[in-house]
Amino acid sequence: MGRLDGKVAFVTASGGAIAGATARLFGKEGAAVCCVDIVEENVKQTASDINAAGGNAMALKCDVTDDDAVKTAVKKTVTEFGKLNVCFNAAAYSEKRHRLAEMPLDMWKNVIDVNLTGMFIVARHVIPEMQTTGGGSIINVSSIYGVVGAKERPAYCAAKGGVRMLSKSIAVDYAADNIRANSIMPGPIETPRLLARNPSIEAVIERHGTRLHQKRLGKPEEIAQTALFLASDDASFTSGADMVVDAAYTAF
Amino acid sequence: MARLKGKIAFVTAAGGAIAGATARLFGKEGAVVVCVDIAEENVNKTVEDINAAGGIAIPVVCDVTDGAAVEAAIAKTVETFGKLNVVFNAAAFADPLLPLHELDIDLWRKTFDVNITGMFIVTKYAIPRMLDAGGGSFINVSSIYGARAARNRPAYCSSKGAVRMLSKSVAVDYAEYNIRANSILPGPIETPRLLIANKNMDDVIERHRPHLPAARLGQPEEIAKTAVFLASDESSFMSGNDCFVDGAYNAI
Repeated sequence: MGRLDGKVAFVTASGGAIAGATARLFGKEGAAVCCVDIVEENVKQTASDINAAGGNAMALKCDVTDDDAVKTAVKKTVTEFGKLNVCFNAAAYSEKRHRLAEMPLDMWKNVIDVNLTGMFIVARHVIPEMQTTGGGSIINVSSIYGVVGAKERPAYCAAKGGVRMLSKSIAVDYAADNIRANSIMPGPIETPRLLARNPSIEAVIERHGTRLHQKRLGKPEEIAQTALFLASDDASFTSGADMVVDAAYTAF
Repeated sequence: MARLKGKIAFVTAAGGAIAGATARLFGKEGAVVVCVDIAEENVNKTVEDINAAGGIAIPVVCDVTDGAAVEAAIAKTVETFGKLNVVFNAAAFADPLLPLHELDIDLWRKTFDVNITGMFIVTKYAIPRMLDAGGGSFINVSSIYGARAARNRPAYCSSKGAVRMLSKSVAVDYAEYNIRANSILPGPIETPRLLIANKNMDDVIERHRPHLPAARLGQPEEIAKTAVFLASDESSFMSGNDCFVDGAYNAI
């Protein structure tokens, strides 16, 4: 028996490591998964993995900052799978490091557009579908950098803090519709994107020093397990919460 | 597939509503459960339920503020079942509602003794056993009143704030030994204890508006499901977290 049997999930950035692992786990637990990403090749791979494992998934190329494209993608999901119960919002832009005064305005706008406005756009189209189906669960990927500061990442930190409060706002406004909204704050997770920003995994562990108490990075699958909990009815009274998945990084 | 198969759990206040539901669900998910409470009749009932449902449980009558009694209870757990992996710390004193200047020092001390010193004692004796077992998970029941103040409950609020920080402290100090510690912060949950200070459940919902946007109380089973997630290996990168299970109470 799958923990998401009968549910339909919309997963953004599912060509990436964290959302890809989440989409695969959702599929394994019985959800029909609409895999969304701006990179067609990657999202097709995720959908094909899910289908090969006996799940039910489709892939859609979509830019979450494009309101019309998101609207169409959500409509396609409902046409194909009949409804929409779960939304995992993970699309994020990984910008170069700058202190605020040196950050180009266009870069700031781009980060806010993808990381925050994209979540607003996805939410505004999935919420009516969740109302129609009698409820749902929105899972927004914030970051530990929505809680504490990171060096030279003003736009990322601001956007991820915005994600936290966006989730709480949705949680409060749509509780009466049986729609829940929560944030996940991952600590440093071992992903290709992290490696693109750093020379090696060891260098990342070294840089974070005493705050990585398990002396290791997290795995995308560990975020996926948290998302599964939040997507399932096990979390029926959990809404507006900050699920910090960081092995005590921000507890220190 | 049982999510806690092979794990041994020690559950305090297991004669009560929240920890009782948690002990039952732990048993259903394959854990062997040592049910601890100061009230013999109540804890025996929880154990009977678990065993009748095909699980394995034993009762231990024990006051968590009594160091020698707790040490003996944990020793008995390991002697009987070979190890200890999970502790659900829920024992709490039902303090009377009084403003600070009218609260007797003895009542203040009693609340702290049960709510936080009891947790320290259980944790102190459980940690060496978890070290022997190669790791473990502590789940400490705090409260939304560990994050926000409730009227006329200075001792309760202070003690529940202390629970949050005790969890974070354990999370940081024992992460390298694969021991995790998280708090659960329940919102108002429908329990017999809640009725001591309130006329009826509708009255509770009315009093908490607008903090209960779903216009309902939580159920003990909803806390239990969160505890299963935190007890299981699904939450392997999650430690030091405040897990709010409050229907967005703390989000507004």
